[in-house]
This record gives sequence, structure tokens and C-alpha cells, in this order.
Amino acid sequence: MNLRRLSLTGALYLGSLTLLVLCGVPLAWMLFTSLKPSSDLFAYPPRLLGNYTLANFRNLITETYFVTYLKNSVVVAGVTVILDIVVATLGAYSLTRYRYPGKEFLANMTLFTYMFAPIMIIIPVYILLKEVNLANSHLGIVLAYTSISLPFTLWLLRAFFQSFPIELEQAAFIDGANRFQSLVYVVIPQALPGIIATSVFAFVVVWNDYLFARILLTDPLLQTMPVGLQNIYESTVVDWGLLMSGAVIVTIPAVIFFLVVQRFLIQGWGMGAVKG
Amino acid sequence: MGPAHARLALQGFLLAVPTLVVIFGFIFFPVGYSVWLSFTNKHAISPGYDFVGLANYIGLAQEPEFWWSFWRGTVFSVGSIVLQVLLGVGAALLLNESFTGRGFIRGITLFPYMLPTIVTILLWKWLLSATYGPVNYVLQALGIIHTPVIWLGADWLMASTIFVAVWQFFPFVVISLLARLQTIDLQLYEAAAIDGASAWRRFLYITLPELRYVLYVVILLRTFFMFTKFDVPWLMATGGGLQRLIENLPVFAFRKTFATFQAGEGAAISVSLFMLLVVLTLLYFWVFRREVEA
Repeated sequence: MNLRRLSLTGALYLGSLTLLVLCGVPLAWMLFTSLKPSSDLFAYPPRLLGNYTLANFRNLITETYFVTYLKNSVVVAGVTVILDIVVATLGAYSLTRYRYPGKEFLANMTLFTYMFAPIMIIIPVYILLKEVNLANSHLGIVLAYTSISLPFTLWLLRAFFQSFPIELEQAAFIDGANRFQSLVYVVIPQALPGIIATSVFAFVVVWNDYLFARILLTDPLLQTMPVGLQNIYESTVVDWGLLMSGAVIVTIPAVIFFLVVQRFLIQGWGMGAVKG
Repeated sequence: MGPAHARLALQGFLLAVPTLVVIFGFIFFPVGYSVWLSFTNKHAISPGYDFVGLANYIGLAQEPEFWWSFWRGTVFSVGSIVLQVLLGVGAALLLNESFTGRGFIRGITLFPYMLPTIVTILLWKWLLSATYGPVNYVLQALGIIHTPVIWLGADWLMASTIFVAVWQFFPFVVISLLARLQTIDLQLYEAAAIDGASAWRRFLYITLPELRYVLYVVILLRTFFMFTKFDVPWLMATGGGLQRLIENLPVFAFRKTFATFQAGEGAAISVSLFMLLVVLTLLYFWVFRREVEA
């Protein structure tokens, strides 16, 4: 029995070590590369100690369009999230607090959209946006991003609104509040942690997207981070220090997201509300 | 239904109107338009086109490139789905046990899923780089290989692409399964242990049946996501001859539309992919019809 317990513990730590090496080491390597001069990286074996520098980050800012890409990404993802959350909050409130014909159909429709390949949506969207002169504009891509992120933000917020007791709202009605007041003063404050988590989630999805930006934005100066980073990769002799410093910066929202929602994620929040 | 109820229902419906506009206007309408375009000879940039019936589909069925992309995409999707599910189940079972440092390992394990694809791809291109890449260095230092392997060359490109996709997406399986594992009633295990069931039998007769439904959903979702994946195969080998080795249907549709400007044919490729997924889903439902009822 003791031997068995020991081997089980051994297996646990061996498995954990495997996961740590598989997932942790590549991430550490990314950070490490961003902080090293290239002469150290191409040494064989790579030099781990000494010579840490911020030169890669400086080059990234002064010698590439990185700052422009960054600004575009922040604007596009930020505006999308605001639009998305307003629409999804109203939609989720409607789906959880009202009864009308076709409600279930609407809820199921949103899940059905997962079956469409993004490429199947984006090519016609590109052609249609071109017709109305919105291709190659931030407004056009914000509309497109809102549409792809809405199904799962709606789904997430619906789960939050469902988990929140309806009695509080009924108490507000007895006190003479109307639906609108109840939404603003009772429901939204209660669901705020969920709304924040959902916003960060939507932000990361838009922030990480490559395909839509690649197709809808043709002007390099309007381009967002993921395509921008690929442009930097393609346009120069490959400089891994420079690229990894960009990768580190692009990863920051993901880190924030992680700190905000890790707890929710493990609790199973968001089953069915997923992307990618 | 009194007038007050009708008014309330109307109010509820009005709140859902923005959602309806976005979902129908920007998802279902474009998808419908895509289906329409697949029956035309629409050029990607210049306006005006003719209805050509099934010509695009017939053309594609006779085009070896289409079948090539279909098979390459299938290899990529099936390979990466099987591996991410196996790895994901293993990792989820492990991370469900309690041990010191579990929270940290959980965090590290889930992180790759949050990374932008471009970061994942650039990072792995660097890690797998033939001459200076640390992967080759470590494998050589350990004596596993003697000469550097060209991981991103023709021989290994598909395997490397599958590996990178598994690395990025297995945490999805972990997240979904962990959530379910935590809801299993621990008394079931205690009762089984008292009855003398071994750890393996407890896994087989308690854990696995409890995970069945969530696995069923996860595999279906991963199938949708992997068959429709564009960025991973596109970025692993942008352009050039190597691209063809990992070109799936979404990349092929992109190339048809934006490299040769045949938007009609591009649309026909996306629609074919959609039909493929519908067939796969129906088949899946049919094969596992007993799970659905459970």
C-alpha cells in the first residue's frame, strides 16, 4: 500500500514536471530571448547568464511600426468590447428575464454559429464592406469583430444572469422600480464581475485575431498587432530578440485576462462559450 | 395573454433586437451571401458577375488541388484533435488530484490557450529553428538525435504544425474537463474503495462514465474549430512551396479568393467545408446517439 502511494505520488510529480517543461519552458524562453542581445542567442550553447538588455524593446519601438500597430489594436479591441458588451447585456437580460415566442430559437441560433468557418463569414463580409466603402477601415473591422464575439459573450452573460437570484429584482419592482431601473441599479451591479470577466475575454479574442485583420485591413498603417508582428517577421532578416520582445508585449492582455478569470475558468464558467 | 403581458414580451423582444441585427446581419446574411456567391463567377475585387449554377462545385471536384487540401486538412485536424484530447484528459486527471504546487502548474498549463496564435507560431518557429533552436540543442545534448532535425522542412512540417496546434489547444480540453471532474461526487469513490475497487477500476467505472458527456461535446467543438482553422496552417509556412504541404480547405479558400481572385470558387470551397462539417456532425450524432440521450 505504501509502495503504491509512493508510485502514485511519483507519477503525479513526473506528470507535473512534464507539463511544466512543455508549457512553462517555451514561455520562459520567449521572455528570455526578448531580454538578450542576439550575440548571446546565437552562441552555442545559448548563454543564460549575464548581458540582459532592453535593446530589443527599444529597437521595436524606434525601428518598426510596432507602436502604430499597438495603438490600432487597443482602439479596435476597445471599441469592439464596448459595443459587444452593450448589445450582449441587453440580449442576455432579454433572454433570462422575459418570455416571448422564439426566445429559445434565438439562444440556440447563437451556438449554431460555431459551425461556420471564420473564412466562410469573412470573405463575404469583405466583399460587402467593400460595396459600402468600409473595407480597410477600423469601423468595418469593429463591426465584423462584434459579430464574431457576440455569440459567446451573449452566452457567458446569459449564464451569469441566470445564476443571479431573481428575488432581488422582484424586491426592486415592489419598491416601484421599472425594468430599466432594475437593470441599471440591480442586475448590472450584481453581474459586474461577470461583465468584467466577459469583457476581458472578448478583448483577448479580438486582440488575438489574425484572419479578420489580414483580410479586412489592407493599409499597413491601419493594421493591428498580430498581422503587424507577422509583417515585422517577414520584412526583415529574422531578429528573434526583436520578435520575442513584440511577442511579450502582445501577450500582456492574455496575462491580465488570466489573472482576472482563472478562478472562473476552473469552476467551469463558460462551458459552451468558447472560441478557437 | 393580457395586454400587460404582451407589452412585456414586446419589451423583451426589443432588448434582443440589437443582438438579432448583429447575428443575422453579420453572420447569417454573409453566410447566405457566401452560398449565393458559390453559384456565381464573382471576382474578388471587380463588381458584376454571372450565375454559373454548379460549375464551381463541379470544377472543384475535378481539381486535384481541392482534394489535396481536403486530405491535408483532414490529417492536420484528426491528428491534432486526437492528440489534444489524449493529452488534455491526462493533464486534467492529473491537475484534479491535490498536491503542492497544483495551482501554479494549472496556471502554466492553461496559459498557451490564451496566447495570440501569431505569438505561438513565432515562438515555436524560433524554438524549432534548425540551426540555433533550443529544441535541437536539447535533443542533441541528451543524445536523442545526432544531427539537427529540420523541423520546419518538408519532412517534418505537418508533424510540427500538429504539435504546435496541440500545444496551443489542449488546455481547452483541460479547462472543460477539470470543471466537470470537480462536480463528481467524491462519495462514489469512497464507496468503491470500500468495496475494494482498484484505482484503475474506479477510473474506468466512475470517472470515465462521468466524463462521457463533456468529452462528447468537447470533441465536437474541437472538430469544428480544427477543421475551420486558418491561422495555424497559414502562419506555419506563409506562402511558398512548403505552404502546400499543410494547406487545408480554409487556406485554399483564402488563396483562391485573394491570390487568383476567384471569389465564387473561394465561396464554393467554404460551403463545401461547411457541408463536410454538417455530414461529420450528423455522423457523430448517429454513431454516439446513445450518449445524446444519456
